[in-house]
Amino acid sequence: MEAITIVLNGVPVSGFPGTSILDLARESGVYIPTLCYDENLVSVGACRLCLVEDERNGALLASCVAPISPGMVIKTNSPRVVEHRKKILKLLLASHPDTCLVCDKGNRCHLRKLAAEMGIGLVEYQKIPQPDVIEELNPFIERDLSKCVMCGKCIRADQELVVEGAIDYMNRGTAVRPATLNDVPLEKSECTFCGTCVAVCPTGAIMEKNRTYTGTAMTTVTTVCPYCGCGCTVLLGIKDGKIIYTRPAPTSPVNRGTLCARGSYGLDFVHSPDRLKSPLIKVDGRFKETTWEEALSVVADRFMQIKKADGADALGVFGASKCTNEENYLLQRFTRSVLGTNNIDNGSRLYNAASRVGLGTTLGYTGTTGSLETLERSSVIFVIGADPEISAPAISFAIKRAVKFKGAQLIVIDPRRTPLTQFAALWLRPRPGTDIALLNGLAKLIIDEKRMDEEYVTRMTDNFAAWAKSLSNYTLARVEDLTGIRVKDLQAAARLLAGAEEGSIVYGNGITQQPESAGAVIAIANLAMLTGNAGRRGGIFALERENNAHGACDMGALPDFLPGYQDLSDVQARKRLEERWHCSLSSRPGLTAMEMIQAAEAGVVKGMFIIGENPMVAFPQPSRVKEALSKLEFIVVADMFLTEMAGLASVVLPAASFAEKEGTFTNFAGIIQRVQKALEPVGISLPDSEIIMRLARASGSPMPFSSLQQVREEIERIVPFYHPAAAAHARTGDPDLSDVDDTMPGNRRLYHGLFPRGFGRFVPVEYTPIIDEKTNGHRFTLMVGSSRYRFGADGRSSRSARLKQFSPGDYLEISAVDAGGLGVNGVSRVKVVSAHGELLTYLKINDSLPRGLLYMPLSYSGGVYELFPAVLSAGTKAPALKTCAVRLERITEDGEAK
Amino acid sequence: MEKQNKAPAVNMKQVEKIITGYKGQKWALIPLAQEIQEKIGYIPPEAIPRIAGSLGLFPSQVQGVVSFYSQLYTHPRGRNIVSVCRGTACHVRGGKSILKLVKQHLGVDEGQTTEDMEYTLETVACLGVCALAPNMMINKDTHGNLNPKKISRIFGRNKKE
Repeated sequence: MEAITIVLNGVPVSGFPGTSILDLARESGVYIPTLCYDENLVSVGACRLCLVEDERNGALLASCVAPISPGMVIKTNSPRVVEHRKKILKLLLASHPDTCLVCDKGNRCHLRKLAAEMGIGLVEYQKIPQPDVIEELNPFIERDLSKCVMCGKCIRADQELVVEGAIDYMNRGTAVRPATLNDVPLEKSECTFCGTCVAVCPTGAIMEKNRTYTGTAMTTVTTVCPYCGCGCTVLLGIKDGKIIYTRPAPTSPVNRGTLCARGSYGLDFVHSPDRLKSPLIKVDGRFKETTWEEALSVVADRFMQIKKADGADALGVFGASKCTNEENYLLQRFTRSVLGTNNIDNGSRLYNAASRVGLGTTLGYTGTTGSLETLERSSVIFVIGADPEISAPAISFAIKRAVKFKGAQLIVIDPRRTPLTQFAALWLRPRPGTDIALLNGLAKLIIDEKRMDEEYVTRMTDNFAAWAKSLSNYTLARVEDLTGIRVKDLQAAARLLAGAEEGSIVYGNGITQQPESAGAVIAIANLAMLTGNAGRRGGIFALERENNAHGACDMGALPDFLPGYQDLSDVQARKRLEERWHCSLSSRPGLTAMEMIQAAEAGVVKGMFIIGENPMVAFPQPSRVKEALSKLEFIVVADMFLTEMAGLASVVLPAASFAEKEGTFTNFAGIIQRVQKALEPVGISLPDSEIIMRLARASGSPMPFSSLQQVREEIERIVPFYHPAAAAHARTGDPDLSDVDDTMPGNRRLYHGLFPRGFGRFVPVEYTPIIDEKTNGHRFTLMVGSSRYRFGADGRSSRSARLKQFSPGDYLEISAVDAGGLGVNGVSRVKVVSAHGELLTYLKINDSLPRGLLYMPLSYSGGVYELFPAVLSAGTKAPALKTCAVRLERITEDGEAK
Repeated sequence: MEKQNKAPAVNMKQVEKIITGYKGQKWALIPLAQEIQEKIGYIPPEAIPRIAGSLGLFPSQVQGVVSFYSQLYTHPRGRNIVSVCRGTACHVRGGKSILKLVKQHLGVDEGQTTEDMEYTLETVACLGVCALAPNMMINKDTHGNLNPKKISRIFGRNKKE
């Protein structure tokens, strides 16, 4: 492509054909004022403020949409341009209320900034009356369209970035405005309150509602959202030690200017009055405030006593998938070198153990194999057992963009209708728990129809023949019979995926929380390798629930792996660490989270250190968990809040929030991102890293770190893929092999499709039916899933005022047919009974549910996990938390069950 | 907006059938909308999500286009469309009074439809037959050189039918 040279303000500059005058000017450092332009959106030239003049013919061009052409002589500030620009701005101001004095947009108002730049005061034109504030009930967004300048940014952000389509232009001429379908309030529309439109609105037309703290932010801190595994970059506006607002970072490769309701409006838990401000110690069954010295010396003494009396393995540590990498690293080092046990696990056990086992056995490394850019450019996207719109919105946005603007074909595999199904070319609805049969069936079909990527399979993988043989009884007829999916649809899905130029498979908790979770992940990896979509192109995307689930595992907060997934049984690896840490390490694999609780029940584990996790609500059989934990001699909890778990502790240590500390989080795709301190910790609370280091000192084995930088340096030495070079390559997503050692053990990325072991391995997995408890009259399958306005164990989201206000109460969705059969309706109260527990809730009819399937959004207050068995899957040592067999009992008006 | 009591129920099956004919053809939004309007008389708001689903657009986008064009209607219209000219020539020849008279006869305002769904009253900028001013059109028939008598005759006669 040949560059075009134009003269810009008298200076020749050149750019490639198709470049807009504005982009070229910005590159050349020439300022052109804009209002409707946004780097993440398609330019439409709505506001005309970016006018420039072509001196050859006097044409006035909107520079954001006018491409450069040879011979142009552009003036950005000629008297004619300035005159027109001022006139346009005055016209905009003429239909804008003079309420700047009381407008909360304040100095962030782009219109006011432009007026100031051009020296425009009050406008002499006659004012055009404008519509009033739209009354809406939602607690998140307020629309005052009298301030709307019709730049269309909100509409473009909604349609191009978030791909929700909740708003578009309505009417024409002076009556035009952004509106929802039928002009209903936002809460009655498709709007998901992601807050992206609020962030792009240049004026006060779309504003955040019900802010706890108002005012103009004095500083802006760039950090990472602490909710889901996407790891969106957020900007925190800070004033007087308070977070005034949260905005998406426009340049982040992860979220590209988008965010979700949790990220935009859910970070106020940081200022919750419930925050713990000082250490608490239990005296005679009641908590009393104490000093760090006293609290930590009690903790250190009791841990050492238990270690002395019952051995190190009588201690257990349940770490934190919410904490930073540095904290997780310190925590596992403390556990292994100071406490002397491998009894350490983190909260991601409940949802990503299956990925670790499944991808570990097949690909040889444990996690997502591509970046979001890979996903977005895929021509076929296969989403199975995942509802990313709710659980990982940034990933959903990327999928929807791929479908809507890049022509990708989407295959959604989910028994339930999700927000993605409307974008799907193919929506398959298997019976719950039959995913392995489905995946094996698709694989067999692809082999039988000779649609596999033979070159890839031959060159990159092994064990193909044995695996292919194991598929022999997954005939179309049998798979149709097992899954309930018609042969025609199976064929269509197989052909789509196999024919993809570049295919990506996205899976979530629907896969990783089922009883045969590891097997299902293996089946996914097999399918990806068969179609050549693991690493070299396309990829496997494992959604993570928590912000640093990936990092916690990478750091070795696991009972069977040292940092960087080095095997505990590897003498060399142990020796390297022993030399560095000056201690001897146990080679005995520790207990997983659930096993620790079982060991507590059996009286084997006597003391536990729990950081930022709440097993009493997040684990199956909460009441049994409580009983088990009550048997412990000594519990220490480090948390931001006095959770159910902390209530049980002997000592509670107040932890700083994400906004009050430094560190790094690793997102679902393995990108290591910087967390920056925006605020001072509340009260005398401390970051977990500081707590662990002080505790090590109090235990008589201080750690040789005086700063987090030193911790990071040790991590880089021990975990090769956290080395800056590897991390930088992970970030670009387009790795360059030249200066990276491909043989680096455990390298996270499949550089150019090179597997860490040199090859990927096909592993046979068999479908086994879920043990049928339905014979007991449990004729429904209950499925649980995440909810948009709640998160994780609800510790943080329930302390966010607006999220709490807007989240619906507990309810159970049922199909209309089933409801009719039971003689219940949309307001009935029912008792849900499983073989393990029961709960009371309200019914909601959902016509898109298949017969026999019930759905309940995860709500810990409702105690849904009481219904689930505490049985651990053999491979992952994790409980199955996705579906369970239940029956329903109608509650009559006098409260009797029927 | 006045109550549209006698608006006939929309045959959604017929609407569906029209929509199916354009499935997946994003460019065809306007011809599709025109066809629905021609056959049903207007574009029922409940058809908008179906149109969007079929063409791969957002419902809000379809609404955006439908609400942009003044020739596309989302409310039922009368069996006869009365368009009174408000052009300059008609104005100087008393078009304003003609409009007033028509309003009196029909008992509705501009843009409204009579309760019996017989007439929808509209105004236009110019009908292009200024020589016959003041003018109006009823459906495809032009009525020129209007005066109060003619108006009475037209609406009296039409009403009897």
